[in-house]
Amino acid sequence: MSLLREAERCIANQSSCAALNALTSTLCHPSQWQNQVKEADIRRAEGQPRSRIDGRLVVIKDNICTRDLPTTCASRALDTFISPFNATVVQHLEDAGAIVAAKANLDEFGMGSHSVNSTFGPVRNLYRNRNAEDLSAGGSSGGSAVAVATEQCYTALGTDTGGSVRLPAAYTGVVGFKPSYGLISRWGVIAYANSLDTVGILGREVSRVRDVFDIVNQHDPRDPTNLSPDTRSRIYAHLKAPRLESRMTRQSLKIGVPVEYNISELAPSVRRAWSRSLNYMLQQGHSVHSVSLPTTKLALSAYYVLAPAEASSNLAKYDGVRYGTSFDGNHCDPQNNSYLYARARGEGLGSEVKRRILLGAFSLSAGAMDNYFIQAQRIRRLVQRDFNAAFVATHPLMPRRRDGGDVEPEKSQAQVDVLICPTAPSSPPTLSSLMGERANPLDAYTNDVFTVPASLAGLPAVSVPVILESTESLAGVQIIGQYGDDALVLKVAELLSGKRF
Amino acid sequence: MLRPWLRQGPRATRSFTCPQCLHLLRRPQQLQRSLLPSSALSSPLRSLQTTTTPESTDRVPLRKQLKQDAKALRARKRQTREHEEASRQKWELTVGIEIHAQLNTEAKLFSKAPTSSTDLPNSNVALFDLAFPGSQPEFQAATLLPALRAAIALNCDIQPVSKFDRKHYFYQDQPAGYQITQYYEPLAKNGYVDLFRHDGIAPEDGDQVRIGIKQIQMEQDTAKSQEYPPSTQLLDFNRVSHPLIEIITMPEIHTPATAAACVRKILSILQSCNAVTTGMELGGLRADVNVSIRQRGDLAGNHQYGGIAGLGQRTEIKNLSSFKAVEDAIIAEKNRQIAVLESGGVVEGETRGWTIGSTETRKLRGKEGEVDYRYMPDPDLPPVYIGEDLISELRRTLPTASDALLGQLTGMKYGLTVEDAKPLVELDEGARLEYYQNVVDLLWQQQSETDAKAQQALARLAGNWVLHELGGLLTKADLAWDAQRVPAASLAALLDQLQRKRITGPTAKQVLALVFDGDQRPIPQLLEEENLLLRPLSREEYIVLAEAAIALNPSMVEQIRQKNQLGKLGWFVGQMMRMGEKGRVEAPKADTILRELILEGAK
Repeated sequence: MSLLREAERCIANQSSCAALNALTSTLCHPSQWQNQVKEADIRRAEGQPRSRIDGRLVVIKDNICTRDLPTTCASRALDTFISPFNATVVQHLEDAGAIVAAKANLDEFGMGSHSVNSTFGPVRNLYRNRNAEDLSAGGSSGGSAVAVATEQCYTALGTDTGGSVRLPAAYTGVVGFKPSYGLISRWGVIAYANSLDTVGILGREVSRVRDVFDIVNQHDPRDPTNLSPDTRSRIYAHLKAPRLESRMTRQSLKIGVPVEYNISELAPSVRRAWSRSLNYMLQQGHSVHSVSLPTTKLALSAYYVLAPAEASSNLAKYDGVRYGTSFDGNHCDPQNNSYLYARARGEGLGSEVKRRILLGAFSLSAGAMDNYFIQAQRIRRLVQRDFNAAFVATHPLMPRRRDGGDVEPEKSQAQVDVLICPTAPSSPPTLSSLMGERANPLDAYTNDVFTVPASLAGLPAVSVPVILESTESLAGVQIIGQYGDDALVLKVAELLSGKRF
Repeated sequence: MLRPWLRQGPRATRSFTCPQCLHLLRRPQQLQRSLLPSSALSSPLRSLQTTTTPESTDRVPLRKQLKQDAKALRARKRQTREHEEASRQKWELTVGIEIHAQLNTEAKLFSKAPTSSTDLPNSNVALFDLAFPGSQPEFQAATLLPALRAAIALNCDIQPVSKFDRKHYFYQDQPAGYQITQYYEPLAKNGYVDLFRHDGIAPEDGDQVRIGIKQIQMEQDTAKSQEYPPSTQLLDFNRVSHPLIEIITMPEIHTPATAAACVRKILSILQSCNAVTTGMELGGLRADVNVSIRQRGDLAGNHQYGGIAGLGQRTEIKNLSSFKAVEDAIIAEKNRQIAVLESGGVVEGETRGWTIGSTETRKLRGKEGEVDYRYMPDPDLPPVYIGEDLISELRRTLPTASDALLGQLTGMKYGLTVEDAKPLVELDEGARLEYYQNVVDLLWQQQSETDAKAQQALARLAGNWVLHELGGLLTKADLAWDAQRVPAASLAALLDQLQRKRITGPTAKQVLALVFDGDQRPIPQLLEEENLLLRPLSREEYIVLAEAAIALNPSMVEQIRQKNQLGKLGWFVGQMMRMGEKGRVEAPKADTILRELILEGAK
């Protein structure tokens, strides 16, 4: 199929799936993409495509800056905002010949697990439950996931702070990959929680995700948290050690099953998908080992202290003074003694965002800092330690200390190449249960329980869809690897993705 | 993009004057206020001291009035001094200072935007400076250099690892909603600054006092805002994120004068090591002071600041922008706290402000209004690692500290007074000192003098001429320093002639003025052509001159002889110089002859 045909189909799907509310803005006129796609078709015919995504339409989550389309973060505070610059990732994709076809709906500033906290209204899952009720698409990159699942684009970018790419991937049956922290530039990615934010890639197949990853996995001097060329070559050299390099070709990998993930709240269908995936891996000649990640239980609380803390700081800039929506105009009632920012922030930011700003402001306040922020940072370190103890590979940037010390708590346990676990504890909830009066924000937070640990440790993790044949139900299975093992994680993902058991 | 706005907060000006009338109403008020101190000194005092009724009915002669005013002022000063001394005996003042100084850098702290402050408003701003969504900081490593020079010059331990933190507060001059600073792990710690008598410390601090420096941290400046009350505020983001250092002293200062001296000294150190470019008056330096008092000999206070325990409750006075403001604000705040305590009250921990020319500090916000800055490590910025090699290289290339220079100049070799040495070191960013050094070196060479004492005499002579004679000409002509106006070689040659007694002092001054005004001839040629070389008078010629002078003023001779008014001899010397041939009468010789004739002749 020509690239032009493919692009036309994507554009057609954008219209036919408009009710799913996956996109916040789209290219308005064919002239904006047709010629580019035609030129890419010519390059492809000549055997000289710019890249594997040359002439493909991509969708970008609306918290990543694009010069040609608005960047709203699904917030009223930015609903008229057009960024003066392209995010580095967007630039990379455009340089590779891809066309940014649309911006994807999301939870405001990436805060949410179901893409319902949006000024544009909730994203709807393409699947419905037996009662034909609308289901959550997962969040916060729900729009990107639905756009991929309904073929409104070739591939999509999301952001993953605590599971925001993996969870919607699991709910919508696509592949969602969160690379190691620091590999993909965050310049132009609007910060929610900088120390956790990672650009993620969504695609219908692992190979497409890998194609995009290979393009955006580059050093960017404008992102100070992006790995330097020097560090990158150190990691590369580390992975070239025969013991580690052989994992990419070996027939048998050691698969870890974290026992702490087998919680009682796990939905039966999810548990079945998990165990069948493990069975399948056994059949393929891999070995399965149980490992312990004891700090897992604390990880979720730590995440919901740290992420809001950083968010409360990052979102302080939205005051309506220099850009974005100003609710004051030039007029303000001097009688009611109001502050300049009061309306810009009070009316510009949604309730979940305000909740997290308040939580974060509290945990950073003088009286609470030691008890919350500092403790959560300690837990974050422990979570990382748990993972380091479970993997055969050492953390390439945190060499194992030989002097014993406090680094390895459970030396005795089996060490594995990758971990396999569920992405989410249940199948997608109905939108009505999330948006009604009885909706409880804590319920939404618990959906991140399996995705948050890898985020806290900055590890590569991918969610792949598997199908249970008996019920024709869909579930997301998550593969987590040691820091820098992105290629290995994607390799295992390829083994499992789309399998029917 | 910039929007005028109205804000009704603590810093907002509450005025309901209509904008059109603004200039008419506001300006004169401000003017009046700024004139207040001087008018307050004269009129109320006058009516206090004299029993007269208003001027219209009983006019006091101007001269008398001025005398009375001066007397009243002296009395008031004495009274204040006595009062100050009494309260000082009873209460101990403790002051700590935080100094914010703009670093001398080309780029901003976290972007490549230039720091120039004279450009068009809002022309030097990068995306990050405006806190654009998705932008990230790009730490400019070169900004470390002036900060490190300052830290070394202030004798600090440079920390091998320092980190950046966010200090949160909302204000429109702070685009990100937080300032990036170094709170938990600052750049440098544990320094000190030595203050000497000549630095202007209070007499009770003796000859020298050492003030500890707790830490030095790097941070961002804010935007410049301009208020147009009641509802417009203009913002210029050129200044935002200009690199600053904050220098925090230990609370070890106990007198207002020493506090001002400390700020002055720190600024001069920062300038001499090229860490900052602008002075306090240009807004390049701002100081906050923490003030507390405790009763001497009393039980220790129960507060602890900067690791020093036993202090009283402190208040903070923000944003002092001159040395005088530092001193005056501390005096006012100290007196306020004493008054509060002596009337049985309690000093509240609060932030206070100071207006130049005022006599009282004013409350800005109390404890309840205190901002919780929610300091958080900046998650985008990696730690700053500083190697020992960089520190030692900077230490090696740092100019000699002014205290050390002062020590050298007032030492045996040069023998200058502190009063002469200090301006030499401080004037013209070291250019004057360099010029002086050149003149002295040339003089020593020309006179091939090896005797230490003679060398010192030459050095002192040069000091006098560089500072006072040449300096006087500059002042008179209202010109800035220019080392080429009178080249060092010319001045050295001139002083050489003077020292060899080939010309008189007045002639030397005359020649200096010629050269200063552009005479390009070499000094020997100039002296020759202008016929200025000294042709000494014979003893007989001196006697003739002296006798002529005496004959004209016999009564003064009597006064000298009878009342031993030797001072009047000088007058006769002057007469002789005027009567004699220009440039030939040497004062010491004339004096000797006069003494012979007047004093010995009487016996």
